[in-house]
Amino acid sequence: MIVDFTLIAESLPIMLKGIGITFQLLIISGFLGLILAIFLLLMRISGKWYLSFPAQIYIYVFRGTPILVQIFIIYYGLPQFGFIRSSILWSILREPMGCAIVALSLNTGAYVSEILRGGVLAVGKGLIEAGSALGMSAYQKFVYITAPIATRIALPAYSNDVISLLKSTALASTITIADMTGIARTIVANTYAPYEIFISLAIVYLIFTFILQKLFGYTEQYLGRYTKREG
Amino acid sequence: MSEQSKKYLIQMKNVDKYFGEFQALKNINLEVERKERIVICGPSGSGKSTLIRCLNRLEKHNKGQVFIDGNELTDQIKDINAVRREVGMVFQSFNLFPHMTVVKNLMVAQQLVRKISKADAKQRAMHFLERVKIPEQANKYPIQLSGGQQQRVAIARALCMKPKIMLFDEPTSALDPEMINEVLEVMVDLATDGMTMICVTHEMGFARSVADRIIFMDLGEIVEESKPSEFFGNPKNERTKNFLEQILTH
Amino acid sequence: MAALNGWWDDYFWGALVIFQVFFCSLGFMIIFGLLGAIAKLSANKLAHKVANAYTVAFRGTPEILVILLMYFGSAIFLTAVAQLFNPEVKFVDIPPFWAGTIAISLIVGSYATETFRGAFLGVNPGSIEAAKALGMSDIQTFVYIRIPEMWRIALPPFGNHMLSLIKDTALISIIGLNETMFVAKQAITVTGKPFTMYIVVGAIYLGFSTVVTLSVMGLEKFGERTTAGVK
Repeated sequence: MIVDFTLIAESLPIMLKGIGITFQLLIISGFLGLILAIFLLLMRISGKWYLSFPAQIYIYVFRGTPILVQIFIIYYGLPQFGFIRSSILWSILREPMGCAIVALSLNTGAYVSEILRGGVLAVGKGLIEAGSALGMSAYQKFVYITAPIATRIALPAYSNDVISLLKSTALASTITIADMTGIARTIVANTYAPYEIFISLAIVYLIFTFILQKLFGYTEQYLGRYTKREG
Repeated sequence: MSEQSKKYLIQMKNVDKYFGEFQALKNINLEVERKERIVICGPSGSGKSTLIRCLNRLEKHNKGQVFIDGNELTDQIKDINAVRREVGMVFQSFNLFPHMTVVKNLMVAQQLVRKISKADAKQRAMHFLERVKIPEQANKYPIQLSGGQQQRVAIARALCMKPKIMLFDEPTSALDPEMINEVLEVMVDLATDGMTMICVTHEMGFARSVADRIIFMDLGEIVEESKPSEFFGNPKNERTKNFLEQILTH
Repeated sequence: MAALNGWWDDYFWGALVIFQVFFCSLGFMIIFGLLGAIAKLSANKLAHKVANAYTVAFRGTPEILVILLMYFGSAIFLTAVAQLFNPEVKFVDIPPFWAGTIAISLIVGSYATETFRGAFLGVNPGSIEAAKALGMSDIQTFVYIRIPEMWRIALPPFGNHMLSLIKDTALISIIGLNETMFVAKQAITVTGKPFTMYIVVGAIYLGFSTVVTLSVMGLEKFGERTTAGVK
């Protein structure tokens, strides 16, 4: 089989035009998802059932269903209701981009809150007791002891989730969004050259994954500076 | 607040503590006066650690009363942290905050709990680091220190809060033999200074030379309570004798 | 809910397809994962490199790209081969079921590679030494010590891999697999109730996820029976 390099050379710049959309999806949903995750985490560790139970249900539902189904429910499903179309949310949900960001944020929030919770649970009990023995309040213990240590512990898993989110942004192409994958699918439909187009696009994604991993690697090293004996 | 409970720095009256079905403390009565130095010993699982952890409410007792400087520890207590900052505690496993340098470990609670300015907190931190003889380690992280050094930092951290009483929960049990003495020296120094102390420890040399009273516990009860000379010279209880034989002739 | 009348049997058959994809891909996923782990642990440099390339590529590329590439790529290839023999042939493809099943098992298998490798390395060397010191043969050590310990380490992440397989099934609808997403699409064109139809899809997936989660929890309990009560 002959690989058509001219086609790749012509198509790559066109696909890369979708990079802005891919990044918007990644960064906005990543940020909103993280905020949501922190809220869910605080609800779950609050020790109050009327806060932790709803958070648990939310996480269970969003982790137990495919992200594609969530995107379709929000994009195709919600307009079924008149009250949604007449609400202020409509300005966001009317746009495919708005729907994709909402769906990705809601989804990643559920996963990230579980990751953060893992970090919180992994903080040594002795350290919390030391904080108590020094008379620190629950809030002070969380902010000064639990949170910084949990952040370090949770970071590797969190970086994996950000990479998952990057991969999930490609699903925006299923609701007419022209991100990199969306553009690639259009090109393939016209040229019928899936190998050239999809593989070169896969390499683009791999490069971004690699960059993300490096960035998180440096952050991990910085946050973990106190775990090495040699200063 | 009764006059009697104000007289003692610590008072425990008929205290019971359960972990599920298991009774860890059985009818504990204990009074500690100001400047008294108490050593608690006994076999593992005898309730020694549980007893001192009830004194700053890391464990909640189920029955009886606990008074710290006249304040009763109950569920209703408004600010347990106001009591805790008067009670310093040193743990078997040090429990230094790994993500903070040594000096930050000493400063954080001063600033947050005592509301002391950063400069003053630092000055006090350095003062106590000098007292435990490791001021040069101030800017290292805990993991870069030896066990003995870490435990001395932990003692300094508790002292920075200017507590009225210090609780030691087997402070030398996790240490290599050559590091035990450097920690004991600091503790003896504190005792000489007039600090009220309750130490759970198996260091009988320390108990003999420092303690005003030695308490022997077994199976959640206080079995014997006496002065060191009596305790070592003429133990009354059979269980105490057995324990001493085992620990002194190993 | 009246809109759902007449669609239940279609949803049932769609759910059955999810179930079939799950079982087939589970088998392939275990095979890919074990092969990957063995290659990564082997002293053979080439095997090591191939396995590394495999995990990097499949963990860093969006799932949807892998599925599209597997389906359209194989179709191009098969069509080209078929035309060698019979120029009349216009289009030959692998059924979406198999293209999708292989695609998602390759994707999840790349994660399982790390799980199996980690489990193999996670076995306490002390217990292996102890077994040897007791005079156990290599095979005995492997069967009675290594496998049970590996199993316990690998089970929780393995449960997550099974959930990924279930959820990734939804993505295969993009290349025309007639599972529940596909059913919903048809139902929507008739009834005009997208929310209702996709919520049913979500509920079906949630049901599958719940069954998988509960089974894994049961297995974990079983695996922990030897450590239960030990603190």
